[in-house]
Amino acid sequence: MTATLTAPRVALLSNPNTQLSRLTLFVALAALPLMAAYVLDDRLFQGDNVWLKPLKFHLALTVYTGTLVLFAMLLPEGSFTSRRWRVYFGIVTICILAELLWIGAAAALGTASHFNVTGFWNVLYSLMGLAAVILTSATIAMAPAFWRQRSDPLMQAISLGLALTFLLTVPIAATMANLTGHHVGTPVTGARFPIMGWSMEVGDLRLPHFLATHAMHFVPLAGLTGSRTAVWAAAAGFTALTLWCFARALMGLPPF
Amino acid sequence: MTPDQLFQLSSPLALLGWIALLLSPLAPRAAQVVAAAAIPLLLSLAYAGLVLAFWWEAPGGFGSLAEVQALFTHPQIALAGWLHYLAFDLFVGAWAVRTARAEGIPHWAVIPCLVLTFLFGPAGLLAFAILRFTLTRKVLP
Repeated sequence: MTATLTAPRVALLSNPNTQLSRLTLFVALAALPLMAAYVLDDRLFQGDNVWLKPLKFHLALTVYTGTLVLFAMLLPEGSFTSRRWRVYFGIVTICILAELLWIGAAAALGTASHFNVTGFWNVLYSLMGLAAVILTSATIAMAPAFWRQRSDPLMQAISLGLALTFLLTVPIAATMANLTGHHVGTPVTGARFPIMGWSMEVGDLRLPHFLATHAMHFVPLAGLTGSRTAVWAAAAGFTALTLWCFARALMGLPPF
Repeated sequence: MTPDQLFQLSSPLALLGWIALLLSPLAPRAAQVVAAAAIPLLLSLAYAGLVLAFWWEAPGGFGSLAEVQALFTHPQIALAGWLHYLAFDLFVGAWAVRTARAEGIPHWAVIPCLVLTFLFGPAGLLAFAILRFTLTRKVLP
């Protein structure tokens, strides 16, 4: 028994969840034709190639479901394979694919996906908001399974990170969705963060959205230290940082 | 990348697949990897990129012959149509080679069908179907 308890964690990994790992692979591979379109298409939308946004979403959702797969491997075999989980993951899959189809189709037509207020697209925009909440709910739905193993600080950190991703992302994203765009204020010089593209001169709600969504990556890192204090400090600190960036953005100010 | 550059790249690529099929008795598995997967999928990727990027501005449609003709006046869509020929012809050629091998049809007899498929797509498919039926009495996959 002692040998089992001291065995490296790797030896205790369960098999990857079939539904989620298939979804991850599919979303990653479906980015290939978009990359081809990115190279061939000269159209710009708000200063970027029209295909940049769908590619970002494919990357983000690959990382998202891929992370859920990795986390689930730390729990006992079959933790998410009951009929209820399979139906739920089926719904999450439909929401993720619908989201990507919507963003890809808007890019192909050179129109806005988010913040599009013209007729049919406006209806879709509201529906996709609902789909976004459902797909994000996978975090908080899976969090209790990790919480039950919280005697291990890593499991506690994963549980907190997952719950925070949902609890922080939904209000921030909903606030952003109800404005007319992701900026608060009108950029003049167009100064932006490298790669991420957030404004460096006015409020940009995509920054707190990004932080909120990555709670599930940041907080578990603190769990790797094995210190329960570090986990709680990371969860509290990261929440504070996210809310501070959210408040700054709402005031029309860049983060610093 | 301009449509002309892509066109210049696509033809030698497809030709490479056809050479692999002609020489397939030397390395049947490798020939299938090249002619049934790698090259058709690469061409399909370029096709999908072109359609995603240019379908929105293409004239015409599928509703009448005149509409289809109008569709092909658009350079990128015409290129996509050409890649469609190249990819699907090669895929059909690879299927013919695979089927012939499985059913004991000699490779030398398949070669004219391959040449015909390379030049005139469906005519080659028809030729292979006739050859296959004469030798094995089979039509269905």
